[in-house]
Amino acid sequence: MFSFTKEQKVFEISGISIGGQPGIYPTVLFGGVFFKGEPDFDDAKRHIQTSLDISKQTGTPIIPDFFIRKVEFIEPIISFIEKVMPRKYPFSIDIIEPSIKVETLIHLAEKKLLTRTIYNSIHIGITKEEMDVLQNNTPEMAIIVAFNPKNKSPDGKIEVLENGAYLTEKGLLEIAHNLGIEKILVDTAALAPGENSGAAIAAIPVIKEEYGLPTGCAIHNVVEKSRWLNDFPLAKKTVDVASNISIPLFGGDYAIFGPIENAGLVIPLIAWQDILVSEYAENYFGITPVAAHPRRRLLK
Amino acid sequence: MKKKLKTSVIGSYPISIDTGELINDYFSDKLSSWTEYIEQAVHDMTTAGIDYVSDGQTRDPFIQLFTRKLKGCRIRNRTEIIGHVEYQDQITVEDQKFARQMLPRDTGLVGIITGPYTLTKSSVDLFYHDTKELCFDFATALRGEALLLQKYVDLISIDEPFFSNELPEYAKELIGTITNGLSCPTRLHVCGDVSRIIPQLVEMPVEILSHEFKASPQLLEFFKEYSCLRKICVGAVQSDDVRVESIEEIVTHIKKAIAIFGENVVQIAPDCGQRLLPREIAFRKLQNLTLAGEIING
Repeated sequence: MFSFTKEQKVFEISGISIGGQPGIYPTVLFGGVFFKGEPDFDDAKRHIQTSLDISKQTGTPIIPDFFIRKVEFIEPIISFIEKVMPRKYPFSIDIIEPSIKVETLIHLAEKKLLTRTIYNSIHIGITKEEMDVLQNNTPEMAIIVAFNPKNKSPDGKIEVLENGAYLTEKGLLEIAHNLGIEKILVDTAALAPGENSGAAIAAIPVIKEEYGLPTGCAIHNVVEKSRWLNDFPLAKKTVDVASNISIPLFGGDYAIFGPIENAGLVIPLIAWQDILVSEYAENYFGITPVAAHPRRRLLK
Repeated sequence: MKKKLKTSVIGSYPISIDTGELINDYFSDKLSSWTEYIEQAVHDMTTAGIDYVSDGQTRDPFIQLFTRKLKGCRIRNRTEIIGHVEYQDQITVEDQKFARQMLPRDTGLVGIITGPYTLTKSSVDLFYHDTKELCFDFATALRGEALLLQKYVDLISIDEPFFSNELPEYAKELIGTITNGLSCPTRLHVCGDVSRIIPQLVEMPVEILSHEFKASPQLLEFFKEYSCLRKICVGAVQSDDVRVESIEEIVTHIKKAIAIFGENVVQIAPDCGQRLLPREIAFRKLQNLTLAGEIING
């Protein structure tokens, strides 16, 4: 547990703040919706409501991260967001295919939802068309994935943010700034065991100290890729949930924890960890948590 | 009949990297692979008929290609030196081995090493604060690569463009740190205007000197004034101009070089790495270089 010498930025989207020195704001969680591709709206509605209830109870914010894998899913998923999500509540869209990203941005702009949108994500695969559309349909916030295929260490992640690792014309941070996106979350790009998986966690304090930007990752992906854990199914679930603790422990600001179905396990876990960090941060650095922090909410 | 004059490349070749594919590999949990880009570069060079090809140096610009893997270096906007520079593991050898297995039997392979002075001058030194010491640590580290590389390539070419800006007094010793005792032939490539440093260049501990004679044809006249016992690689097509030189133009240029260097002209090549050219132009330049070489060889 520590404090950064670099001034830490805090970005707010529809009432949720992300970033800052450890111990001030609660860790923000992103829970995957439509993780398997095919949307099951009833199931999603139930899980979102449950997760929002637990979030309210604990003070740990949760943001639904909507997977959109086919063009035909864009319209119904955006319609679902409009109808089911609380008004003025943020959400993120998690899309791989550039053409679907482009279509989705245009739909979100038409529905005037971009001020609540976290764009997941900008990375080395960004296309010219995607940049053109982002320029005119700019989401409020974006996640930048610091994946550098040439160097998987924390230094490599900084390199891709800084200069694109000679794969993009500019660094990913500059690309985002030029698109008018100022609220940036850095994703340290978790990789499989054997590929410097620990670097995603080690990079969190390095990047926060370098840029002061809110930083996190989807560390649970490493658990998914740890095939040996398949021999221990009960432990695998535990490890999957527990892996998220590494993020606030290393000063991180958000965790993309996998299917929103796991919210009931992950939210209390992270709330517990945030209390731990906050107590130490206040005792040692004099950093007090915000009113909505789990420490204030849960410790009466 | 054995060809007297060989065609060669200097180093880089323009291949576009599919970043969409790289990120999709990340999202789908696949290891990133560079082999298709090496394949494309080697395919173009061999199809154009080049005798000594390279792996295309597609992974990175020529500075970062080396500093990425040397201990003591980290890459920010430029390479930063943050500790003792040391050789850790192969840098280009695996790519050379991959390129080698694609080559026709009579085609040779050039292993390219970016020179220690150029690496030093292209880096931000946050550790040594002593140019000479850093240069020699780079040179020692690069020798580690050369010792491995010599087993897999037919020629090792050291790329030292910064020598044309400023030649350190220890340049010969620096290059010798890499080349002394190597079992394969060596070449020193210095592009730019080398007219002021020819006396030093002709003393360098390498077999072949390679210069940018096409963009700077006046260099031929400067070399005339010195006794050069080194073999010569003549830059015969420009690397900084998209105009594709005609075969006749290249032949005329080579003949001028032969008139000055005689039988010491053993290679013809582009003036420099071709990274900045469009791929189609780079390829056509290599094709014409080959055809010009055939005319000279008769």
